Formats: sequence, structure tokens, C-alpha cells
Amino acid sequence: MIIVCFHVKYVTLRVLSIRNFGEKSDLFVEDAKGCVFWEDKLKKSALLLTAALATAAAPAFADDSVLRLRMNGDINSVDPISTTNYTIRNASYLIYDVLFALDENFEVQPQMAESVEVSEDDLVYTITLRDGLTFHDGSPVTAEDAVASLTRWGKVDGLGKIMFSKMESIAATDDKTLVITMAEPWAQVLPAIGKISSNIPVIMPKRLAEQDPGDPVIEPIGSGPFRLLVDEWVPGSIAPYEKFEGYVPRDEPASMAAGGKLANFDRIEIVNIPDTSTAIDALLTGEIDWMEEVPADMLPLFEGQDEAVAEPALQSGNSLQLVVNHLNPPFDDPKIRHALQLALEQEPFMQSMNGDNTELYEICGAVFFCNTPFESDVNTDRVLTRDVEAAKALLEEAGYDGTPVHIMHVTDIAGQDAAYSVLKPMLEEAGFVVDEQIADWATVSTRRASKEPVADGGWNVFFTGWGYVDQINPMTNVYVAGACEDGWFGWACSEELQELRERFAATNDPEEQKALAIRMQEITHDLVPYVPLGQVYPSQGLSTDLEGYIESPVPFFWNVSRAEN
Amino acid sequence: MPAYILGRLAAAIPTLLLVSVFIFLLVHLAPGDPALLIAGDNASPAQVDQIRERLHLDQSLPAQFVIWFSNAIQLDLGASVYSGKPVTVLIAQRIEPTFMLAAYTMVLTVLVAIPLGTIAAWRANGLVDRTIMAFSVAGFSVPVFVTSYLLVYLFAVKLRWFPVQGYKPLSDGIGATLVSLTLPSIALMLVFAALIARVTRAAVLEVLQENFVRTLKAKGMSTGRILVLHVLKTAGVPIVTVIGIGFAALIGGVVVTESVFNIPGIGRLTVDAIVRRDYPVVQGIILFFSVTLILINLMVDLSYALFDPRVRG
Repeated sequence: MIIVCFHVKYVTLRVLSIRNFGEKSDLFVEDAKGCVFWEDKLKKSALLLTAALATAAAPAFADDSVLRLRMNGDINSVDPISTTNYTIRNASYLIYDVLFALDENFEVQPQMAESVEVSEDDLVYTITLRDGLTFHDGSPVTAEDAVASLTRWGKVDGLGKIMFSKMESIAATDDKTLVITMAEPWAQVLPAIGKISSNIPVIMPKRLAEQDPGDPVIEPIGSGPFRLLVDEWVPGSIAPYEKFEGYVPRDEPASMAAGGKLANFDRIEIVNIPDTSTAIDALLTGEIDWMEEVPADMLPLFEGQDEAVAEPALQSGNSLQLVVNHLNPPFDDPKIRHALQLALEQEPFMQSMNGDNTELYEICGAVFFCNTPFESDVNTDRVLTRDVEAAKALLEEAGYDGTPVHIMHVTDIAGQDAAYSVLKPMLEEAGFVVDEQIADWATVSTRRASKEPVADGGWNVFFTGWGYVDQINPMTNVYVAGACEDGWFGWACSEELQELRERFAATNDPEEQKALAIRMQEITHDLVPYVPLGQVYPSQGLSTDLEGYIESPVPFFWNVSRAEN
Repeated sequence: MPAYILGRLAAAIPTLLLVSVFIFLLVHLAPGDPALLIAGDNASPAQVDQIRERLHLDQSLPAQFVIWFSNAIQLDLGASVYSGKPVTVLIAQRIEPTFMLAAYTMVLTVLVAIPLGTIAAWRANGLVDRTIMAFSVAGFSVPVFVTSYLLVYLFAVKLRWFPVQGYKPLSDGIGATLVSLTLPSIALMLVFAALIARVTRAAVLEVLQENFVRTLKAKGMSTGRILVLHVLKTAGVPIVTVIGIGFAALIGGVVVTESVFNIPGIGRLTVDAIVRRDYPVVQGIILFFSVTLILINLMVDLSYALFDPRVRG
């Protein structure tokens, strides 16, 4: 028979002994409990091994001096100019610093800049850098570095491109002064170089910033509060950062992206844990301190736990949006686009993604999101109220010939998978013919760029989810651009929208801006570049022993510290 | 023997060539454009074209293959289109966790499976045999992520004996490495032990019918000695073959386990690269897999000589 000898202290190893297995060989000895095990060198090494295991297993697995984070994606790049990827953006705030930044009132404040002077004609911006700015390679930050960095950013960023198209010159007049001269007054200069989301106008050394923006920088040299440890960086697994001793924070208290960035941890590790359930277990056992998003169906795992909490990240609002291609039938016909609005409503989509957690979402038809300065309910009837009969009537009026709506059902993103399952029956009930194909996100993100007919690799609709910070601003909200074939996927076309945006950019008057924004919404919901399907507040997971975590649409990891027990 | 080894290695070259052409086509013909994925949501068509040009994706497939292949034979597998890190470095970073996980799992598997299989054969059709085989069917049938989650819940979340996830490199000490790999290795062991126990049982059972076993028994040799010294050695060839196949499967074929336990192994590198259409990485890994598989097969073949004198001739 077999006796498995299990010694608690040594975890596993004295495993298998064989008794009554012929006579005892000199390889085996019997202990007091009747367990037989390997004698001799084998036994000794086994004991040594188990002792080593026991010692290593004894202490807690978390190390208090390290902050461990799990973001939604992987740190596979160090260049926030070459990509708009949000994970890369988040991590870039550790490495790089910016000239201006948004505070918690969404007002632009100087960050690397000491001061800015604007000429009386609103054309010349003279920006002075503050003292003590140093890059991670030890070289000082100069105005020339800032000029090169802004120029590179201006080649790719949506707002940056508009700014540079209205600019006469940008130049460094000495080591600490740069001068931006606009060709015409443009009220968005400081909001543009102080923008909080992708692409963030980070400052890097001139030699790196001179690189073509399509060619990602692979040497992460910034002047931010943390330094990437390149040799320890394993893309797909871990990105470790250490506190940059040469960083001089501002004196003001931290306020969203602005204010003093105090690095309270010597080391930050961004760990790529692919499995969400594992990440939650790691958070609940103290192996990690923060996770960007806890899926709604996993929130109950946090009940009754004292190591960590999951709370809706109110400012990190996200959304579900159905983007509509205006180039292909049937949605090249405005009436059929209106029928699409009437065929859908937000609640079922939000339920499919969030279950019964009604605090995690909001029904919202506002183009610039709800609970924001430009929120409005103008022209939202078709968007918010489902009316199948009216949709059918519109389809008939438009002479809908049964051209199928091609749906690329994305299965590798859980929320989208659920939403596509809701979309098909809703469309069919309203009289649309639907052709559904299964796809992964990589395929859809390629196919959505195609302007070809559906049969030649084009498309009709796809889901996406722009975030709060990008959508609240008429200058960065892609759906109000109306830029036709030069615009974002879907290529909705409206000269009036283009003109309204120009006027918005030129004014500083909040009331005028609000009026323009409302008119933009009115046109947008008639044009239907997309159908809004709800505003989402995903939950983030946070270790309970952290304090000073900054509430922000972009997660920041300065100011936060571990509470003394 | 050296001539045999050299011959086997030379025979691997056409295999590798075929594999590289096949993989290149498979990867490039799959829909999905890395340039668009790299550029992100807000990129303009001009930006995407720039990236495509930099990655040579604007050139014809044969031209791209020639560029890749001529670099590969100089051991330059290119760089990840995302991080810019050389593919050789990315693979090298993943070899240690992959190899340690495979080795630890195999040691546990052999320690568990071979005695169990031998005992099952020795007590064939009895209660012990049926119990062992029932367990091995269960071990093989329960999906590895289920056992993984159960192990994590019990030993990591409740008892806190082991960490939930992560890999500690050997530079942190062998003890730390083994602790970090214990749960994933047990999860994988349950699957592989089931397989190897069944093969061991079949092989041992066959040898037990042989005349020489009866002779040994008649001469009064103890059952233990017969089983360990004579029967297992004779039954070794199929067992070692399965262990070899198992080891090859553990190198890169254990993505689910690597994901659940967050082990930065080669399997995950492969899947991540495929999902992102990181062509140089996918191609480099497949080439690496092919070479590894050929080497493991060679070692398995050579080890036959240890068990079967006929092979030595």
C-alpha cells in the first residue's frame, strides 16, 4: 500500500513511500510514524529543498516599499507620441513631464513652465521653464528640447496639428525661454499643450524628439518623477520604474495632473497580469496595490474584504458607442441612419455590460457626455427613445432594399462581445437585415480603416468606447469634427460642424462656447456619425492601505503613499 | 554516434526552411494590420502609412520574406514592432521562466506518475489499479484552469502558503523561484501525470508478461527489485517518448497556465504577439519552437540507447 507522508512544516516534499514493496532496500528508511523515505544523499537534498521552500514561503509576498499596479493593457512602448494607446499614456506620465497640465477644475496650470506671458494681441506666447528640470540621462531640460518635442507632437496629435497649422513660428530664444507665435488668435494654445489625454505633449530630449513620429522612440528619457529601468523591463510581463532622484516637484499641492508630483515610493512596478480573476486575487492578498478596472461581474469578490476595495471611478467615465460608416449602404442614406437611432436604446446594452450594477452606468444622449460643462439634451429624442414602428416606417420611406448591415462581432473584448449580442436582435426587430461575422479586435481595428464597399473588406458599424476626457472637449471629440474623408472612421461629413469647431477654437467666452457646443450636438445627432449607447463608470480596485490617491480621468501615481499601520 | 547526431541535425534544415515559409505565410495572410494597431485609435491615415513603410509592410510578401529570411540566417530575428526590443532578447527573457516551469513540472510528474503507473500495472485490474486510473482520467479531463483556480483559492488566497501569481527569477534564489512555481507546476503535473501514468502502466504491464520476469520471480527476487531494476528499465522507451513530448508541450504550449498564474513564459509571448500581429516576434518564436522541438526529439532518440541495447548497435 501507499502512504503519502505529509509534513506540514515542509509543505510538500517527503512525498511517496512504498511499503510492503518487497523487502526493504537500503535506499529506504522508516521514521517513527511509519513513513518510509529516501535515505542518503537523496533524502538530504530533499530536506534541504523543502527547508529552502519553507523559508522562502514564510514571509508575506508583498513588499511595502514597492507600488504594484495592474493596468488594462501592457507596457509595450515608451513613446506616447507614436500611439494614442491609453495604457502607454498612463505609464508615460511616470517617465515624462509636461509644460502645462490640467488641475482638478479642468483649468490649465503651469507644470514644467514657470510662467507664460501672452501678448496683448493674443498672438505671442512666451513660456519660461522653471529651474532644476533634468532629464533621466542627467542633461538639463532646455527650451530647444521643448520646441523639438512640441513640434513632433504637432505632427500627430489632432489638436496639435490644428495648432501648428495656425502657427507662424515656434522657437527657443534662450535655454529657458520658448516663444510660440500664432498667425491668427487661437484660444486653444494653452489647453492644447496642457491636454491631459492622448497624445500628451510630453517633453523629451531634442535628439529623440527629432525622430519621425511614425518611428517610435525606444529610449525612454524623460524628466518625470520616475525612471523606467530598461534592463529589467520585460514587455508583456513587467515594467519597473524607480524614483528619479533628480526630479524637483513644484511647491503647490498635487491637483489632478497639475501641482507638485511627490514620488512616495522608491519603486513602481506595472505588472501585466493577463487573467482578471488572478489580478483580483493578487489585489486581495496584497500582491498588487491597484488595478485599473474590475469587471462588473467580479465586484462581489470584494464584498467583506478588508485588503482592497472596488469603487466606481467617477471621473474615469467611459462609454459605448456604435460608429456608423457613411460611405457604404445602407447607412449612406440619412433616413436609414435615423432609423438606426430609433432601432436602438441604451438600457439593454448597459445591462449586458454591467448587469444589475446600475451605479456603474448612466443613460446619456449628450455628445459631450453627462455631468460636464457642455452637457445638453437637445435633439436626443431619437437617440434615447426606442421606437420600432417609427424605425420601420423610416426604412420604408427611404426605400430600404434589404442591404444587409454587416456586423463584425468582436469576441475577444468581453464588454463588446455582450453588446454585439444585443445589437443583432434589436436591428432585426426594426426591419434591418443583418449579416454577422465573428472577428477579433485586431481584425476589426484594421478593417474599420477601409473605405471600400463591404464586399471588398469595408464595413458598416463597429463598437468603440471613447473616454471622458476626450469626449467632453469639442476640440478632441472626434464625432463633432464633420471632417469627411479626412476625419475619424465613419467619415461623416458636415461643413457646418467644421465651421463651428473653428469658431469654438477662436473664442475664450464660456457662454459662446456653450452655445456652439449645443449647436454641434444638434447637428451631430441629425448627422449620426455614431449612436451613443451609454456612459459607463468602470470600477477600479484599490488596496485599502494606500492614501493620497488622485481622483482623475488618467491615473497618476505620485502623491499616493502607503498608510502607516 | 556523432555521425548519427550530425545526420539528424542536417535533416532538420529542410524542416526548418519549410516551417519558416509556412509560418511567414500564415502570419501575414491572417487579417489584421500591425501598423493600425500600433498607431492607435486617433491616428491619421498618413501616420499609419508611415508606420507601414518603416515596417516594410508596404512591400510585396516575397520581398518581405527575403528581408526577414536573410536576417534570420544571420541570427537577426528583427525587433518587436511595438517595444523595439530585439526578438532574440524577448525570447531570452522568457526562456528562464519557461524552462524552470517545464523542468519543475516534469520532475513532479515523473515522481508521481511513474510509481503510480508501475503500481497500477503490478496490481492490474485490482482496486488500487482502478483507483489510480480513475484519478488519472480525472486529472486529464478536468481543465487546467479549473484546477488552477482551485489551487489558488486554497493555497494562495485562504492558506497564503504560496503567492497567487508571478514568477521570481533564479537571481532571487532557487527557493523563491520554486515557491513561485509550485502551484502552476502542480496544476500542470495533474494533467501530465495522468498521461504518463497511463503510458507507464501499459508499458510495464506488457513487460510483466515477459518470460524473464517469471524467471526472476522463480529465482526468488523480490517484487520491488524486479519492478524497479528490471521491468521499468525495459519498459523505458515509450515512457521516455511521452516525457519528451510532454516536455516539448510544456515549452510554449501552456498559455492558459501561464496566464492564470502570470508566468512570463514563451507561450504568453506567442499569444500576445499573435493578438497584436507583431510579425517579427511570432516568426522568431516559431523558429525557436521548431529548433527546440527538433532538439528534444533528438535527445529522446538518443536516450533510447540507454534503455534498449538494440538501438546502440
